[in-house]
Amino acid sequence: MSVGLCAYAITREHVLAPLSPVGIRLITHRGLGLVVAEVELAPFAALGADPARWTAEPAEDDPLVVLARRHDVVVRAVFEHQPVLPLRFGTILRDEQAAVRLLANHHGEASTWLGRVDGHREWGVRARAAAPGKPAATPTDGLSGTEYLAMRRNRLTAAARTRRDAFTAAEALHEELTRHATECVPRKRKTATPLLDAAYLVPVNAEPAFHDETTRHDELAVEVTGPWPPYSFVRLELSAEEVAHA
Amino acid sequence: MDSRSSSLADVLERVLDKGVVIVGDIAVNVVDIELLTLRLRLFIASAQTAREMGMDWWTNDPFFSPRQAQQAVAADEMAQLRARVVELEHMVAAKQLEGGSS
Repeated sequence: MSVGLCAYAITREHVLAPLSPVGIRLITHRGLGLVVAEVELAPFAALGADPARWTAEPAEDDPLVVLARRHDVVVRAVFEHQPVLPLRFGTILRDEQAAVRLLANHHGEASTWLGRVDGHREWGVRARAAAPGKPAATPTDGLSGTEYLAMRRNRLTAAARTRRDAFTAAEALHEELTRHATECVPRKRKTATPLLDAAYLVPVNAEPAFHDETTRHDELAVEVTGPWPPYSFVRLELSAEEVAHA
Repeated sequence: MDSRSSSLADVLERVLDKGVVIVGDIAVNVVDIELLTLRLRLFIASAQTAREMGMDWWTNDPFFSPRQAQQAVAADEMAQLRARVVELEHMVAAKQLEGGSS
């Protein structure tokens, strides 16, 4: 078994755009379509083979990165024209029959979710406190002990105020963004803790207002990523198991 | 401030860790994919990423890294003390010379 059917996304049945990535086709069933391509399985199987590399930061030529980018390119190509439910990377089905059974078994769920994300795009927003200017190096020569302590207290108070202001601004920003978005999910990051790190599902016609909000707060350094297909907004777990042995 | 980009970390996070999950009837072992997600987490946790996200801006700021500030102060004081010791040694030597000649 060296060739499998890599599934990228669920979409509505349609004619694929002429400039779609090479090898992509649509397996359809009752108005739904599964975006697939025949792929060699060897590169996928080899991905987990070298644990030593796992702590290294993947580079663009890393096999995992190449395949993940390809996945994103395919999902995006379809997403340009149709609503999509992106599948998680590495969804490889045995054959076309399995694909059809998948669509048949989950027709209702998939249709509902497609309706939910239709006309929307995902945007990622990260905000942290705007990098403060270096505190002016006040010469401490000639200061009395009391003066020095007073200076130090003032600086610490100012720094605390800056942090509090940034925190408040981040909360306000999130509230404003949520007003323009249909849905929002916080992103979970264990180590780094920006003041705000979330994905928003935004109706296309609300995007200008949404982006205006991200530029309003001087206290914050805001980083916006997107537009993304609604990767963060499809909480679906489909089981193809019961159909495998049917 | 507004910068739009799709960094590698963002792409990997979404492609590997988000989206519809299909279990069963999958040719490539699901376990492999779980391992890949683990690898991704390690990557995101790496210090490099933290730096990229500007998480270290305080490390050079004496008010957020008092220890570093203390070290700087200590180094300053040490240099001043050394200079002072040299100065005193000169004075003592000069005094001894004076004493010896009279």
